[in-house]
Amino acid sequence: MFFFLRICFMAGRSLQANLMRSILACLGVIIGVAAVVSAMSILEGSRRDVVGKFESLGADQVMVVNGSSDRRGSRAVARMSLTSEDVHALSDLPSVKTTCSESTSTAQIKYFEKNMVVQVLATNENYTSMNEYAPIEGRVLSREDVRAARKYCVLGYKVGKKLFGETPAVGNRVRIEGIGFTVIGVMEKKGFLGIRQVDTQVIIPATTGLSRLFGTKYVHMITVQAATPRGLDDTISDVKRALRAEHGIRAGRPDDFQVFTREQITSQVDDMIKIFAVVLYSIAGISLVVGGIGIMNIMLVSVTERTREIGVRMAVGAKRTDIMVQFLIEASVISVLGGSLGVATGFALTRILENVTQVLETYTTTASIIWALGMAIFTGIVSGLYPALRASHLDPVEALRYE
Amino acid sequence: MIQATQLRKLYKMGDSTVHALDGVDLNIERGESVAITGASGSGKSTLMHILGCLDRPTDGTYQLTGKTVSSMSDWQLAKVRNQHIGFVFQTFNLINRTSAVDNVAVPLIYARQTGTRKAAMTALDKVGLGKRAHHKPSELSGGERQRVAIARAIVNNPEIILADEPTGNLDSRTGEQIMGIFHQLSDAGTTVVIVTHEMDVAVQAKRIVRMRDGRIIEDEKPTDARRRELLAGAGLVTGGHVNNPIE
Repeated sequence: MFFFLRICFMAGRSLQANLMRSILACLGVIIGVAAVVSAMSILEGSRRDVVGKFESLGADQVMVVNGSSDRRGSRAVARMSLTSEDVHALSDLPSVKTTCSESTSTAQIKYFEKNMVVQVLATNENYTSMNEYAPIEGRVLSREDVRAARKYCVLGYKVGKKLFGETPAVGNRVRIEGIGFTVIGVMEKKGFLGIRQVDTQVIIPATTGLSRLFGTKYVHMITVQAATPRGLDDTISDVKRALRAEHGIRAGRPDDFQVFTREQITSQVDDMIKIFAVVLYSIAGISLVVGGIGIMNIMLVSVTERTREIGVRMAVGAKRTDIMVQFLIEASVISVLGGSLGVATGFALTRILENVTQVLETYTTTASIIWALGMAIFTGIVSGLYPALRASHLDPVEALRYE
Repeated sequence: MIQATQLRKLYKMGDSTVHALDGVDLNIERGESVAITGASGSGKSTLMHILGCLDRPTDGTYQLTGKTVSSMSDWQLAKVRNQHIGFVFQTFNLINRTSAVDNVAVPLIYARQTGTRKAAMTALDKVGLGKRAHHKPSELSGGERQRVAIARAIVNNPEIILADEPTGNLDSRTGEQIMGIFHQLSDAGTTVVIVTHEMDVAVQAKRIVRMRDGRIIEDEKPTDARRRELLAGAGLVTGGHVNNPIE
């Protein structure tokens, strides 16, 4: 152990003697490790971000969206099939407690000279309670508002602030795409619900929205809350059966809708993240390989340069293994150094990215740091192996003669 | 101490074979001081490498302190070099980036010893360089560097010191000082073997072994008169007293 420390110290000395060269040798590893750390941080950040947003979909809830599950690829072009009648049909099912439909569109909202581009969400009275989303002023949509297709709206937190500031908003008339609506409430500050930024959202009754604003009978999404949390599978099969009947799909034909649970969404996100991970890690891996080649190059130069020194060390009693260990440690010291600097650089880089872009979420796990460092050390040892072997197999007599 | 019988060393140079050593018999007793001389290519360096366990003979046996070295593994040879042999080279061969005391400590590190710095300081004191211990080789004169090299050679208290042209890169005054250190070591009972082509260095040894074409052609323990004759033969001194023959 003591010997090992001495060798480490000696390695440090010889690297110090060629400081600039050692730093340059480190550079590849620094970049490689920084790439690994930031790639991992960004991926993990995005995963947590996306998964976190779906946390709002309760464990007892399922999500129904348009489009067939057979069709692979983009669902953006999925044929619309879900209607408000479907919503009623689903809420009548015994295994379903409540349902809510969601349809969104971008629209302009005006209050006198103040105006703002918002996301209009056409939904029913269950939306706020299912998402545990409460008003800070006034009230949310009622069953009656939806049934009567009233031109009422509930403003998201930022919309309320922008249009009315500190003055009360309830009772005022605003225009959404030129149609007059009465403000009945302002929601609390919430940030994200699902994938939507709800603070810049305006909630209107589904009935009003579909007929007056969107001009369609189709809805984007239906969220279903199961009667009992444990009966999720029953609920899913009931929902599927009911929708197939509603849509008149014959046996053997595929569904024209998809049903998701939170777990399914999470695992789908994870699958997607994995694809990104493979790409990002490949790039990071390549830069580490390049870093390794850098180390190997420097170590080979070092071995050649120090041939005579190796001869002397052998003459005074260094065994071949001693020489080998010494050069391996030198390579490892370079890689550990580069690895540590790389972790610091990667860490700093993710912070900067997060602050500059303002949307990118990053999360650096301890595991990713250990991984990156481990890979750096592994790279160092692997790339130091050949130079170390070469050094240890020098003939002492030849090495002493080397000019 | 050293018992070498019928040592042969062959080198293949293309199609031809060079007999660097061609049947060398050499016995050296403990505490002896021996000079091995000869022209370049006479095989004296090859002999020194084999005696110093840096190389193995192609043929013949070599016993050091009763152990047959010629059949040892690299690992064992390294151990023998570390514990029984001290090398001094013509070009000093110090590690330039570390201080004198760290250079001296190198053999102790490979011996897995602790307290190396103290032992290295003692060795440096022995060669009179205690005060320059923390200087780097580049800050030392040639003579001082060779002293550091000698301190490194003796730090493990080896039985044998092998010196290859130790004064070759030094002026004659400094060379004499270095030879003085070898005399002291010899007086203290260490076996000293000096390989040199300089007759004025060789005659300072108690015994002179002359080589030519890989063979020993003369092995003598010269008298003072003979020493003068040898020096004269080399055109170095014509009469007068020879300094410091090692007794």
